[in-house]
Order: sequence, then structure tokens, then C-alpha cells
Amino acid sequence: MAILGALGFGATAAACAGPGGSTSPAGASGPAAPSTGAVTGKVSFAHWRGEDKAVFDELIKRFAAKHDGVEVAQDISTSNDYNAQALQKLRGGSIGDAFATFRGAQFKNFSEAGIYTDLKDSKAVGNYQKGLLSAGQSGNNQLGLPYQVVFPMPMANVDLFDKAGAEIAPKNWDAFLAMCEKLASAGVIPISWPGGDVGNGGQLFNCMIANNAPVDDMCAQIEQGKLKCTDDWFIRMLNQYKDLKPFVQPNATGTAVEPAQNLFSQGKAAMLATGSYHIAAVRGLGAKFPIDLVFPNTTSDGKGKYEGAYNATFILGVNSASKNQAAAAAWIDFLSEPENAGYYANQTAQHVSVDMVEYTNPDLKRLSPWLQKKTALAARFQFNNLDVRNAVEASATAVISGTSPEQAAAAAQKIVDERL
Amino acid sequence: MSIHPGTAAKRKAPENQAAASAAKVRRRSPTRVNPALYLFPLPAVAVVAFFLVMPTLQAFQYAITDWNGFSAAFNYVGLDNFVRAFTKDSLFTNALTNNLKFVLLVVIAQTIFSLILALLLTKNSRGSILLRALFFFPTILSSVSVAFIWKFIYDPNFGLANSVLRTVGVDGGAYLGNDAQALYWVAITQVWFHSGQMMVVYIAGLQAIPRELYEAAEMDGANKWQQFKSITWPFVAPATSIVVAYTTVQSFKAFDLILGIAGNPPKAALDILSTRIYSTFANSEFGYAAAQSIIFMAMIALVTWLQRRLLRLTPKGD
Repeated sequence: MAILGALGFGATAAACAGPGGSTSPAGASGPAAPSTGAVTGKVSFAHWRGEDKAVFDELIKRFAAKHDGVEVAQDISTSNDYNAQALQKLRGGSIGDAFATFRGAQFKNFSEAGIYTDLKDSKAVGNYQKGLLSAGQSGNNQLGLPYQVVFPMPMANVDLFDKAGAEIAPKNWDAFLAMCEKLASAGVIPISWPGGDVGNGGQLFNCMIANNAPVDDMCAQIEQGKLKCTDDWFIRMLNQYKDLKPFVQPNATGTAVEPAQNLFSQGKAAMLATGSYHIAAVRGLGAKFPIDLVFPNTTSDGKGKYEGAYNATFILGVNSASKNQAAAAAWIDFLSEPENAGYYANQTAQHVSVDMVEYTNPDLKRLSPWLQKKTALAARFQFNNLDVRNAVEASATAVISGTSPEQAAAAAQKIVDERL
Repeated sequence: MSIHPGTAAKRKAPENQAAASAAKVRRRSPTRVNPALYLFPLPAVAVVAFFLVMPTLQAFQYAITDWNGFSAAFNYVGLDNFVRAFTKDSLFTNALTNNLKFVLLVVIAQTIFSLILALLLTKNSRGSILLRALFFFPTILSSVSVAFIWKFIYDPNFGLANSVLRTVGVDGGAYLGNDAQALYWVAITQVWFHSGQMMVVYIAGLQAIPRELYEAAEMDGANKWQQFKSITWPFVAPATSIVVAYTTVQSFKAFDLILGIAGNPPKAALDILSTRIYSTFANSEFGYAAAQSIIFMAMIALVTWLQRRLLRLTPKGD
């Protein structure tokens, strides 16, 4: 029984798909544009945002009203499953005529697998803010359209900041710590941080590394061995994590994301160190207070290169194996029209990278100035190897739980070295 | 179906030909099988071959490649993946160590706990039947539900464990957030989850013991411990073999519980072999993940075999 069990787990997991049958690399020519034709038939739209289902349902209705005989079905997985299995599901083309990917490793894998068609000459691409399209580019091709703009920065309960007389835009690291001190003196937890949740706990890393690293592609360089976690700048960043220890909730390394959200939405914590993508969830938990974003500026003189961090994600694409590319491309075009992108944004409380969108959602309106600030593209998604990413981010968690920055950095570097 | 010449000669020898023919019929009939009958197991053989043998062989094939799971390009790398797992991948060896520690903890705790439960609840009184049902209840829950229930219990801010402890002025700590303790807390969950099931195995063993043996022992003046040592244990020993083997396999494959309670990916302190294999697949290292799966399979086979060798627990007299 034991052997059969192990066989069942190991073997079938390994054998769910087979190598392509050739040992020669794929051809060098880039992907073709989606085929054109009548916008009819069934389109499968694969993504992971179950919370947006109702909004997409409404957009699908509007799309179907524009095109007779077209039908869009959402194929929604959880984000973890999507990360692990989407590529296998989409390869055949029966699922995910149109689809979304995460920025970083998943986008890279999809690009290398040739799943994307080139949208460079599509009607949609002209609707996007030029500077926000880079996350969907590969060489000369515009494979995907990063739809959402999120700010992976701590969200702030403005009321609590006002009550405590704390500065919401601290100019440097000392000012940030002084702000935390004021909040703590006012009897609230300054920062609610989900240290027990690898994905959400890791978002703070984007802010902490932005102005500390010597180059913008710091995480890519760590993965390639050009920069090291044991470098002075990285250790300095870990020491700043250590500075945060008194200001995060007790036992923060064991806190999952939902309790962290609760601490914030109940007014027990002044900041939630995840990102703007949690606004809808926090409002859903009953938070009525005004929300702003705070950037932990890690510089000592306030002259940092960046004033914040953002991420362009939910990268839309058309499946190269789809039998209905014309309709799938039309659906992507439709989503990229400012009116529809605006509807999506305001209903889901997510900024979008489509230009000329009017934000009517009060939270999005309040946070819109951040779209104009000099923000760094979230660095943690430069990692293509998830083991490396987790190990590097785990060094910060280890410091919060009491490990010395030097030890934590050395442990992370060991994993990086093994994967070089 | 050729017949040995010697045998044929012997069969022709009897004087009474009719009797010989009858004997021949009697002897041959059990082996005379209609060849068409061999076709009947074919569907089952095909299913096993398709769903078990073929994937296994494929896993062996992938394990010696650097295939990333989707690309047409891949190379055969021999045993590199196996060597890498043990010499250049501290995440794998960490998961292996965690898994062995977890198995040891759970096997010892679950075996003892379920035996104690069974001893306490063997009698068919109304109270013990109710308690048996209560202890068995976690077994019927899905592992994902169990993971979420215990994740909530261990939450340091709103969780039940710390709420109770705070009423007596104690801070229970970060539980799963404490790397040194995390595995122990998950082991407790696993024991809670499956002990009821193992208790039933023990109760079945205990109820098969003749009451007269205890009555005779009592008349001889044997105390409870002596009764346990000389009567109870020899009878429940075979059940222990089953409990230990089953618990071992279950603990090796506590994938859903770990992923549910610790999140995906679990942190290094809670990474076990099955979650590590899953992470490696998700990291687009199919060849390497297949090699890890084979190591995992070999590990379970080895531990189970060792247990059978070392734990030959059979009733006295067998």
C-alpha cells in the first residue's frame, strides 16, 4: 500500500504531461499576431481573481451585446493553483483563449512556452499608458497587457494618523520610525504585518529594497549571483527590518493575512503592510476610515530615487493555441477600452494601466496621485526562481523573529548559491 | 501446455484404461483453461498499465532529464537530479529531515495516544460509545477543513489557544510563526486528526481478547500492568503493526494538511517532502521534481520495509 501510494503521488504528478518530444530548441521567429475573423463563438477567459467574477460577468454581458453570437466563459482557479497549473491547462488551447498571468516568473514561463500571441499591433495596446506596458514585453513583442496597477505599500488608516499627530509621508527612515513611535504612543499597533503568509508578507520587501539596492534590477542580479544577500546594502536593509520589530504586532511571524487585515480594519493597527490590492477586502471587513498609502523611505537623507512602489500585473494575453483567437482578441480589446477598464477599476477598487480612465471609487480617487509619483516597479517579481524568492524574502521574516541580519542573509545566500 | 514425457508414460501405465481415463480427466481438468478466459483480466491490466505503470515509467524517464515541464527542449542528464537532491539542495535535505522528524513524532504520539484511548473506551457503555464517536469525528472531516480550523486555533492574535492562555495571563507565542516549534504544532494537529481512526483499529483488537483470560489472571492475583503486559499487549501487537505502518505513510504524505495550515509555499520549517516536490513542480523543474518523487517513493518503501522487519509484532503462540 505504501509503495502504491507513493507511486500514485510521485509518478502521476510527474507524468501529467510529457516532454515535447524533441530535444531541439524552438525556432527563433517571434510569436504571430492573433488571427482575425468574425467575433463569434465561445471564448474561455482564464484567470485567478474569483473576487472579480461578478464584475467580469457584467462586462461579458456588455461585450456580448456588442457582438452577436459571442459568448465568454470565465475559467477561474485560485491564485496558487493558477500559478502551478495554468500553463498545463492552457497549452491545448481548449481553456484560456484569453488569459491573465502574474508578472515575473509566470509571465516568463508563458512567454518561453509560446503561449502568447503578439499584441503589438492590436487596437488594445494604444489604450495603455506607455510606461506601464514594459511588464508585458519580451524582446520586440508586446505579448501581454498588464491590466492592473497596484501599490504594494502599507495602507494607512488616516484617522488614526491624525489622532496620533503622525506624519503620513515620512521623508526618511528616522522620520518613518518616529512616525511609528507616535502611533505606538497613541495606543495602536503601528504596523499589521502578515509575516505568516509568504505571499502577502513579502510585499513590504518591495518598499524596503527600492532605495537600498544599488541598481534597479537588484533581484534579478541576486538570482544571477552578481549581487549577494550578504552585501552591505542588503544587510543594511535587514537591519531596518530589525528596526521595525517593535512596531509590528506581537507574534507577527505567525500572523496569517486575514487576521492582519482584521487588526487594520478594526482600527487596532494604523497600517497594513500588504498593498492597495487589499482595499476591497478591508472595506468588506467594515473599514470606514479614509485610506492612504505610506512609503517606508529607507534613505537617511530623504534623497531616495523612489517615492513608492507599484506593480503592473494581471497581464492579459491571447492564447496562441486558441481556436477562437479573433473573439479572444476582441475581448481583450474590449477590456482595454477606457470605459470598460474604468468600470472594472471602480468596481474592484484596483487601478488600471489603461489611459484616460475616470476613477469614481473614493479610494481610487484618493490614491490616484500615486500614479503620478516616481514609484519603483515591484522588485520581488524580478525573481524567476520561486525558491530563491522565498529564501531571500524569508531572511526578512527571520530577522523579525529574532535572527541576526548577518545570519539571516547568509542562510538566504546559501540557497541562492545552490541554484546558480 | 506441454506434458512431460515421463508423466505421460506414467499416465498410460494403469491396467484399467477407463479408470485411467477418469483419473486423467480429474487431474487435467483444473489446468485446462479456455484461452478466451485470459482476455477477461485485460481491461483491469490495461487500466493498471495506463494509470500506474506508464506514469511510473514516465516519472523515471523525466527524472533523468532537465525538462522544465512545458518546453520542447530538454536534455538527458543521467543521475544529476538525484545527486543534486542530496548534495546541492539544502531545501530538499531540510524537507527530508523535517519529514522524518514529523513521521517519528506523529508515529510515536499517535500510536500511544490511540492505544490509550482504545483502552479507556473499549467497554460498550453508552458513555464510551459517545466518546468514541467524538474522538472518531475528526477523521470524517476533510484535511483542508482541519487545517483551517487549526490555523485559526494557532493564530496569535485572534486564535483560541492564545485567547484561553491570555485569560490566565500567559502569552502562548507565535505557534506556527516560531520556526523552532512549528513542526510540533502541526504534529499535534495530525495526531488529533487521525487518532480516532487508529483507536478503532485498537478497539477491534481489544474486543477480540477473551474475557476469561482476564478473569483467570485476576484470580491468579495479576495487577493491571501485569494483565496489560501478559494479555492485552500480545493480542494488540498485530494491530500496532498496522497502526504504525499506516501512520507512517499518512505522515509522509501530510501534504494537504501542511499546505492548508502553513500556506503555499510553506516556510522552510514546515516544508516536507511532498510540499517540496510540489514547489519544485511549480518552479518549472519537472525533471528534478520527478527525481524527488522517486526518492520520496523509495523513502516510504524503505521505511515501511524496515518497520516490517523491526516490528514483527504477532500474538504469542503464532
